[in-house]
Amino acid sequence: MNDAIDRLNRIALSRRDALRALSCGFGMLALRGLGSASPLAAENLLAAKAPMLPARAKRVIFLCMTGAPSHVDTFDYKPVLNQSTGKTLSGYRKGAKLLGSPWQFRQHGKSGLWLSELFPQLAAHADDLCLLRGMHTDLPAHPQAQTMLHTGSIQFVRPSMGAWTLYGLGTENTNLPGFVTMNPQGGRAQLYGSAFLPATYQGLKIGTDGQGRRRFGQEQPPVEDIKNPRQSAKLQRKQLDLVQRLNEEYSKREKNDDGIEAVIESYELAYRMQSELPDLMDLAAVKPSTLEAYGIGKPETDKFGRQCLTALHLAKAGVRFIEVGAGGWDTHRNMREDLAKACTAVDQPIAALLADLKRSSMLDETLVLWGGEFGRTPYAQGDDGRDHNNRGFTTWMAGGGVKGGFSYGATDELGIEAVEGRLSIHDWHATILHLMGLDHERLTFNYAGRDFRLTDVSGEVAREILA
Amino acid sequence: MDLARNLGESARFQGEFARPLADEETAMKPLSSALCVALAAGILGLALTAPAASPASPVQERDPGRAFEALKRRLDKNLDGKISKEEFNRGQRAFKRLDADGDGFLTQADADALAGKGKVASDQPRPELPSEGTAPQATAEQIEFFETNVRPVLVEKCFKCHSTDSKRIKAGLTLNTREGFLTGGESGPAMVPGDVEASSFIEAIRYQNPDFEMPPKERLSDQQIADLESWVRMGAPWPSEPDMGSMEMSAAGSTDDAPHKESLNRHIDIDAGRQFWSFQPPVRSEPPNPEHEGWARSAIDRFLLANMETTGVAPVDDADDRTWLRRVTFDLTGLPPTPEDIAAFLDDSSKERDAHVVDRLLASNAYAERWGRHWLDVARYAESSGKEQNVVYPHAWRYRDWVLAAFRADMPYDRFLKLQLAGDLVPVSDETEHAWNQIATGYLAIGSKGHANRDRTRFQLDMVDEQIDAMSQGMLGLTVSCARCHDHKFDPIPTKDYYALAGIFLSTDTHFGTLRGPGNNQPSDLLALPQAADLPNGPDMGPEVRRLLERGRERLDKASQETMEMEAKGDKADAAQTAFQKRTQADQERLLADLLARFDDRGRALPKNRLAMGVSEGEPRDIAVLERGELDRPGEVVPRNMPQVLRSPDAPPIRAGSGRLELATWIASADNPLTARVWANRVWLHLFGSGIVPTPDNFGAAGLPPTHPELLDWLATELVAQGWSTKALIREITLSHAYRLSSRSDRAAEAIDPDVRTLWRMPKRRLESEALRDAMLAVAGTLSDAAPVGSAAGTFEGVLRNEQVAQIMLREQPVRSVYLPAPRGFVMDTLAAFDAPDSEFVTGDRDETTVATQALFLMNDSEVLRLADAFAGRLLDIPGSDDDKIRAGFELALGRQPTNGERHAVSAFLRDYQREVERTIEQDASQGKAKDAAPSSDRQRQRDQARARAREKARELARQRNGAPGNAAPEPLRDPRRAAWSAFAQSLFQGAEFRVIG
Repeated sequence: MNDAIDRLNRIALSRRDALRALSCGFGMLALRGLGSASPLAAENLLAAKAPMLPARAKRVIFLCMTGAPSHVDTFDYKPVLNQSTGKTLSGYRKGAKLLGSPWQFRQHGKSGLWLSELFPQLAAHADDLCLLRGMHTDLPAHPQAQTMLHTGSIQFVRPSMGAWTLYGLGTENTNLPGFVTMNPQGGRAQLYGSAFLPATYQGLKIGTDGQGRRRFGQEQPPVEDIKNPRQSAKLQRKQLDLVQRLNEEYSKREKNDDGIEAVIESYELAYRMQSELPDLMDLAAVKPSTLEAYGIGKPETDKFGRQCLTALHLAKAGVRFIEVGAGGWDTHRNMREDLAKACTAVDQPIAALLADLKRSSMLDETLVLWGGEFGRTPYAQGDDGRDHNNRGFTTWMAGGGVKGGFSYGATDELGIEAVEGRLSIHDWHATILHLMGLDHERLTFNYAGRDFRLTDVSGEVAREILA
Repeated sequence: MDLARNLGESARFQGEFARPLADEETAMKPLSSALCVALAAGILGLALTAPAASPASPVQERDPGRAFEALKRRLDKNLDGKISKEEFNRGQRAFKRLDADGDGFLTQADADALAGKGKVASDQPRPELPSEGTAPQATAEQIEFFETNVRPVLVEKCFKCHSTDSKRIKAGLTLNTREGFLTGGESGPAMVPGDVEASSFIEAIRYQNPDFEMPPKERLSDQQIADLESWVRMGAPWPSEPDMGSMEMSAAGSTDDAPHKESLNRHIDIDAGRQFWSFQPPVRSEPPNPEHEGWARSAIDRFLLANMETTGVAPVDDADDRTWLRRVTFDLTGLPPTPEDIAAFLDDSSKERDAHVVDRLLASNAYAERWGRHWLDVARYAESSGKEQNVVYPHAWRYRDWVLAAFRADMPYDRFLKLQLAGDLVPVSDETEHAWNQIATGYLAIGSKGHANRDRTRFQLDMVDEQIDAMSQGMLGLTVSCARCHDHKFDPIPTKDYYALAGIFLSTDTHFGTLRGPGNNQPSDLLALPQAADLPNGPDMGPEVRRLLERGRERLDKASQETMEMEAKGDKADAAQTAFQKRTQADQERLLADLLARFDDRGRALPKNRLAMGVSEGEPRDIAVLERGELDRPGEVVPRNMPQVLRSPDAPPIRAGSGRLELATWIASADNPLTARVWANRVWLHLFGSGIVPTPDNFGAAGLPPTHPELLDWLATELVAQGWSTKALIREITLSHAYRLSSRSDRAAEAIDPDVRTLWRMPKRRLESEALRDAMLAVAGTLSDAAPVGSAAGTFEGVLRNEQVAQIMLREQPVRSVYLPAPRGFVMDTLAAFDAPDSEFVTGDRDETTVATQALFLMNDSEVLRLADAFAGRLLDIPGSDDDKIRAGFELALGRQPTNGERHAVSAFLRDYQREVERTIEQDASQGKAKDAAPSSDRQRQRDQARARAREKARELARQRNGAPGNAAPEPLRDPRRAAWSAFAQSLFQGAEFRVIG
């Protein structure tokens, strides 16, 4: 079995990839540097590799909140702002009036983290959260900032965070793709792409947000072509047996050609994936109490609940990097209603996910990330909305080697600008890689004559948050 | 696309998504390089008072040349090395004083002249120098803040009316000195240092008092206001002029500046660089005389065999006829040989039987469709902009058609390149030829672009960078664009050379089309093709697209109505919102109108649609080296030219025009050491799987050296000698003995040369996604011979972000894959699995992966199933026994007869599969009855109900899309015999052999 997988992985390395690695020397060194004893391991692209540093986390679940959640209404408590509603803010938008959060904040857990009432269920996990309140990013425009968040670059097509992680660590279950992204929100494939890294590292996309050809739901298979629309498994097995028979004859004639072996293995993996992946995704077999815990079945939480539960299943099955997308955060107006809705949609599912990770003792080795591309202004847009704010916002992490019940960094008293513990996206990436046991300065890939990194030429690990 | 998008459900959200922000604008903008009159005055003062000779002074602060450099860095927006009135923009009196030679530009000559006539000039009224006033000692950070965030705003927004150089000083207030702020004007002091609220100018710029709003026309951005407030809070630090002068100079970004040169640029010895193999002219050496000379059929074989003999390997046996025929047919046409082709070849007993096949294939249209596609990979061909706002390029297909026509006609490769760079500039005999030549320049216009970019200059520089990147990698195998920010790390290409090339492209107008609208801040016009030219108007607009646009129109009307109503209500809070909506709606109406105006009522393209992407001559100018590629750090202006390492040292600079024609001529020349080599290598790569230089887009030091340098040079010189004929080169290679070899392994050779670098056997190659799809269509008998007019992307316009629109655009059609629409970021489902290239990049060498998703595609994809059904139908229609049909299946799909073992296996499979289908049908029937009778479990019922709901939802979605679902599921198979044959037909697609060129 393992041999077969090795063979499969070996050929997943394309000629061009090999050339790239060879041509630049650096790439080969990098691959070797990633802890594999055998030089042959350079070919085995997906096989698990030892981390460079002591790893705190084995896998990532990234809960990506597209549209930019308001930090001052959720995780960044601003009492001064809340007392200043209606006051004119000099120096910003004409006549901009401060808008205190319409929601109450309370302290939660032993740590006493201040959290908004918008996350009542997540609040029960306050002591697991590590709030990063000093985040900032370059541009307050969604597409660019999303690209930055995922790839560390605004201008160029670069590998995504998940692809870099797979490049550095491989994956634990080569029967499944190592990087899965669920419901990516309207973004381009670039957000989960591998760019110049080998194609094997790109994310497998499952479902898009009601726009794509394949949807996230019960009827439509969420992985492209994962199910034959008219053939039973038994019939398909018969057909595959014929295919493999022809392949073997061909291989024999061609004197056991590696490429043909690769094709043979690809069918077996595909066949296994057909039976393994839909099971992981099929929530019909899940206990009703679990479904209920994730809010599956309730219209407001159903979709994200399914995604979170699937994320748990994939994490258990050994997938290295799982991204789960949710939208609805771009609350320029009608905020009181829309933001509440967006929070409700994710609150219970996230709480259930954290609870399940803890219950199965996986939280310590699973780095859960929550965040959007930027934050929102403390002053109002209209009388019930907030505008984009890239100068200060909050994301959080949980599990995977970060301090729980901890708050790091701060914005100014109104929540406009990150002033303490400032974390750029590069810093954030550097920290995530560090937690995974990867040194962001050494995780490089040589492309077009230059060594590239997820963090470009900057990025500093936020050591204060490490548990 | 925008139209439909608006109309879609989430117009408001999307609108917001694309909404520009003041913040963004500020952030995107390079540090304003605006002038300060004070600086001008300072320089003037320096120039006027400069002691005639202090050139040795290390600071050189009195050197007018340096002073001018400093001024230029701030003002020279178009980077042509001189400052126009527009760039100077304010203080026209000062401009006149500085423009010593009165040519309407401030130039180095003016600075020199002013320095030279210092004495005369000192008779002129001397401009006031700002006094230090009572300014506290400003820190370096404060000065930096002032220079970066305050002075540019003052210059740009205030000085027109409030400067000692203003034509009419308004309200007696001058703000070009700190003193001026403190003294104030008619209404008292303008500023109280340290006290924001007491500073009246702050009140004015905040627009708090309707009677006192400054600047009067447009409010400053929030950021600008915040900066000015911060500045007042700091105590209004203002650098004293002499300090400022020296600061300017020490911050010089000139490449002459030694410390910077050290830090950013390595020492490049151009002469030494020329010694690198690929920069040396190809040398045609005599083919060697290998020991087993008799094996060789051509010069190519001699080179290869000699190399094999040195390595110690021997060539394997030849491939059999059928294998060779399949190989050469796929290689030259991207399609499998038909049974007729096979029969004709086997019947041909002449000595030239191989040549007959090659000539037949080269003469076919399918050849152009195959090899044209190879070039389109290199040309990063696509039909939209890519990047964060994916704007459709509805006219890109004309370039695609030109490429195919060029390959069909075997246009000499040098001319092929020349037309793509400068087709608009070469002499022509008629309108049609001129039109095609213009279309050829589409090469420069189709690259990926960030239309969301708000800064025109930056956008242009990025576009030029993309053009240089595509051209240098594609045509020269060089990564010249590495030298945009620093001297090339590996190759002898200094930054100067990059900007010498960039000058050529900046002196060129690129016409890429698109209309301004949400998400698109960078539209351009297109080339209007001559009406007299013999050209198609364009593709027809299908009924589906017309319905979509119709619905778009309706929703747009409704939205406008609502906006008007909202406006009528006069809700003030919503005023800004309404204005924004109105703007968006107007943009979309224009987009819709523009699109519809190019088609008649029945959707046929009108002559108005004769538009093309391409380039034309712009205003010629040289530009400055931009240190680190940053706009606000212009250094030395470099004359337009080719990279030094590749041109003769006495090559004259470009004097007239953009220099594009010179560039094109220089690239498309036998004297260029790279051009012919790079192309010969690409041709080789497509016939043997990898290039003689294995990095086809990089012939530089970071690329790999050639495995057979003499052979590469021989091929390059042969290409030129044959009049740059690609077909002649292909013919030469495909008729070699090496190309005739079997692809089967040999243990002895494998041990010595496992990577087959010496080509002791033919490497096996995997079909590209296009060839694989086209082969399935051809074998199934559904492939249309005809080339469609235009592209399905040709009837769209606007930003492509709606998946529903993409679905309509990317509908499967029974045509060669090269004609399918190719917007960036989207790939046809049938092309996605097998490593379709990313059109963001130049792709000389495609990935060849073998992954499970490919297996899933061939096992389960609806289109594959439909093609299998068609193939099965074709087989079942063949008269004769099942055995005959099986034989036909193998011959059609694999170009060979099945072995006995295979025939028996297939027969057994057909029987077994058919029986199983029969059983399934029976079972279903009885279960269906049973289901009606037996009560199912709760769980089962729940699941069924959920599924039914989901089905209903899917149907509903399909209805909403007005019958525009994706490719529908294939017919369920109720006929067991047909089901079995379809499964067999599909298994032929699935097998490893089908996707391999053996």
